[in-house]
Amino acid sequence: MKNRIAVIISASIVIFGLLIYTLATTDPTDVIGNRSITSFNAVLSAMPGYVGKDGASGGWAITSPLGERFIWGRNTDPGKSYDLTLEFDMKPFLDAGLDPEKLPEGMVKGDKIVIVSELDGDRPADPDETSPQELFSEILRSKREYISYHTALDHFGIKIGDGNVFEWAKDMGTNDKDIVFVLDPAVFIEAGADPEKVEGWLYAKVKTMDGSGRPIEIYKFLKPYNIVE
Amino acid sequence: MAKEILKITGMHCAACSARVEKVVGKMEGVEKVSVNLATEKATVFFDPDTVSLSSIVEKIEKTGYVAVSFTEMTVVDEDKLRKEKEIQALWDKFIVSAFFAVPLLYIAMGPMIWWLNFPIPSFLAPMQYPLNYAIVQIALTLPILIAGRNFYTDGFRAIINRSPNMDSLIAMGTSAAVLYSSYSVYQITAGNFGAVDNMYFETAGVIITLILLGKSLEAVSKGKTSDAIKKLIGLAPKTAVVIKDNREYEVPIDEVETGYIILVRPGEKIPVDGVVLEGITSVDESMLTGESIPVEKKAGDQVYAASINKNGMIRFEASKVGGDTALAQIIKLVEEAQGSKAPIAKMADIVSGYFVPVVFVIAVLAAAAWLIAGESLVFSLTIFISVLVIACPCALGLATPTAIMVATGKGAEHGILIKGGEALETTHKIDTVIFDKTGTITEGRPEVTDVITVGEIGRNELLQLAASAEKGSEHPLAEAIVKKAEGGGQEMLAIDRFEAIPGYGIEVEIGGRNILLGNSRLMDIRNISRTELSDRSDTLAGEGKTPMYVAADGKLAGIIAVADVVKSSSIDAINMLRSMGIEVAMITGDNRRTAEAIAKQVGITRVLSEVLPQDKSNEVKKLQAEGKKVAMVGDGINDAPALVQADIGIAIGSGTDVAIESADIVLMRSDLMGVPAAVRLSKSTIRNIKQNLFWAFGYNVIGIPIAAGFFHLFGGPLLNPIFAAAAMSLSSVSVLTNALRLKSFRPLG
Repeated sequence: MKNRIAVIISASIVIFGLLIYTLATTDPTDVIGNRSITSFNAVLSAMPGYVGKDGASGGWAITSPLGERFIWGRNTDPGKSYDLTLEFDMKPFLDAGLDPEKLPEGMVKGDKIVIVSELDGDRPADPDETSPQELFSEILRSKREYISYHTALDHFGIKIGDGNVFEWAKDMGTNDKDIVFVLDPAVFIEAGADPEKVEGWLYAKVKTMDGSGRPIEIYKFLKPYNIVE
Repeated sequence: MAKEILKITGMHCAACSARVEKVVGKMEGVEKVSVNLATEKATVFFDPDTVSLSSIVEKIEKTGYVAVSFTEMTVVDEDKLRKEKEIQALWDKFIVSAFFAVPLLYIAMGPMIWWLNFPIPSFLAPMQYPLNYAIVQIALTLPILIAGRNFYTDGFRAIINRSPNMDSLIAMGTSAAVLYSSYSVYQITAGNFGAVDNMYFETAGVIITLILLGKSLEAVSKGKTSDAIKKLIGLAPKTAVVIKDNREYEVPIDEVETGYIILVRPGEKIPVDGVVLEGITSVDESMLTGESIPVEKKAGDQVYAASINKNGMIRFEASKVGGDTALAQIIKLVEEAQGSKAPIAKMADIVSGYFVPVVFVIAVLAAAAWLIAGESLVFSLTIFISVLVIACPCALGLATPTAIMVATGKGAEHGILIKGGEALETTHKIDTVIFDKTGTITEGRPEVTDVITVGEIGRNELLQLAASAEKGSEHPLAEAIVKKAEGGGQEMLAIDRFEAIPGYGIEVEIGGRNILLGNSRLMDIRNISRTELSDRSDTLAGEGKTPMYVAADGKLAGIIAVADVVKSSSIDAINMLRSMGIEVAMITGDNRRTAEAIAKQVGITRVLSEVLPQDKSNEVKKLQAEGKKVAMVGDGINDAPALVQADIGIAIGSGTDVAIESADIVLMRSDLMGVPAAVRLSKSTIRNIKQNLFWAFGYNVIGIPIAAGFFHLFGGPLLNPIFAAAAMSLSSVSVLTNALRLKSFRPLG
């Protein structure tokens, strides 16, 4: 009987190991990854006039009706791989007391603030020959951990680093916040901005999880857009 | 009316045993049925002309259980093997389920216990890869559900048979968890990734695992409760050395027949009951009587199976074999007692019968109430599962029979055979104990101390006449006279006529002479003057001796005085009973003065003397009429009616078969310390049963409202179904563990 138990447990370990390996190495069960691509493509399709090449970076960009941009593509520096970038006007932050000198180096680009996430890994396909959808899909496949799901808003999000996220609705038909620019306020507050006075950005608490998975509520700057009525 | 014992397998809780009782009890021709969950036996009394055993078995099997006729001792061995297999199978199932439950719990609960920082592989992070997370949980849960499949097959079958049991509650509770979780998985595949928070696979998996653990521990504990029987069965030797044609043959014990001559060497066990033909030895009979001092055996003495021959080689003739040996009878007696029910179990049985449906209704109502009150479906489902899982009728079902099993087994170990749960329960209420005198308080081996003659008949002739008259009697006083005469080398005379006059003595005709031998009343009713010897008679009686008048041809011929020695344990036993607040009385047919003298020696103040055998039971009745709970302790045929009349009849093992048959408790030793020991054992057992019932009831009374969220209404705790399962398993184990405490019972405290 003990042998039988040993056989059952050994066989189970093998079967279970195979299952784990399969899950870890194949995409079909990655429902969030797969669905995030579909939803992102839907966003791109819903605002064709707002999607285009980003000349400076060589990547693709989605521009909000008020001018904020989410850029995905490769860095201009050929030695680097590709970047994710959030770009938005500095003026509302200046009006709220921001001292641009106090922002970390590289965040100020003319009258814009840029938040860049440099991604390691192989160089992606040439954006010139790749559609925005394909390029995004490629980034996601190689950097899956950058994609998350925000249950409270039913959003997917791509992490730009330091708590900054670009979010889009899983289903634009049922969501009134189709895309959302999410900024971590800490760096702006340190640079002198009064978060309550930043025009056009909603300063609010959002539910999220910290690095260890602890549920927390933290303040963020939010700028949502409803693309599809 | 036939009686049959059936072995029932597949019962898991008191609801099951109640169901079998109900179904069989309703059958036409079935007089009475009693099902014991702990021993898994049903005792059925039925009219074979109206209903057959096979139809009873068929009926039980239709209800969802397996019934097998339980008759021979060999079946006991098979039963033992089956139980061992069952325990092993349960452990195996538990090991398999635990092997999967631990990682399941880790994966499911790890992300929730964020402060402990349990590392989870990134591809299993629930908020990143919810489907992977779900698939792994399903993969880990399935083997657990397979290991616990009996809960589902038995539980749902019981529901279909409209007799839901504990398995039904587990099946419903865990099925609800699995089905809802499966729906959540479907939701995840449909894009509702938040449903990942609504999976309860680990609840189902851990509940099954914990209950398997509880069942395994329960099976082990249940096995321990019948250790006494196993020990008794293990005592029987497997072979015997038979002498045939002056040659020795070793034969299996089953092939030994009555009349066989059996050789037993020093150190060997005596294989069957018999009478010693030659050889002298001492035999350790402690396994049968609890008496540790070996007993001398010589030609003519009785030997018993399983006793150990210490130092001499003997040959004996087998008189009782197989199921007729004293050992087999003891085993049968203990088994029947263990399978019997105490009245205190009735309440638990009634509650158990209604328990499961009531719990199901409470679970549905509680879940519905929370849902209506605005709580989420998930919250209501948690309540539903918790109530189903925490309610445990099995602790209720085990509370009484396990304590009785351990107690009757423990009693047998100490030479106290208690014939049933009812006797065990009633004994603790005893407030008056009546002891028979001769053979009970005294050794029952009286000796002739004085022979006094008057008239023309001499001392030796008087003794010869009296011995010849008493030759056929088994009365201890008669035996003393015969022994005295034979010891003096006197021949016994032929008797022409013999008449016993119960309560008075005997009348015989010897060689044309009419001889009367008996007490003073016999002389009085025959108008024989005893004036000449009445003072001597009183003096002898005052010394605790029993004077017996002898008259020949209508004239007083003399007195033969017989004295019996008080057993060394009698005084201690009586003192102990009195210290327990129990009134002690002595009853005897002996004359008042003799009776009082003996009573004084042992410290008894209430003496019922000169009581005719047929009046002994009336004396018991009188005490009962005073509101006393009476135990009668005796050994003779004449004690049988009183043993039956008493609330508890206690027979001394050295006594007659009729007395033993009539008694509720048999003391294997002739030691009266068994009486206070039996009362103490009964008190300890009833206390233990009450504790068990308190815990079993209390557990449900507290557990169900907590699980239903009643205390949560007032800011109190809410029970996680996993903790409900753990608590449920713990309740059965704690009841069994408490019952096993009786194993440490010591008769003298």
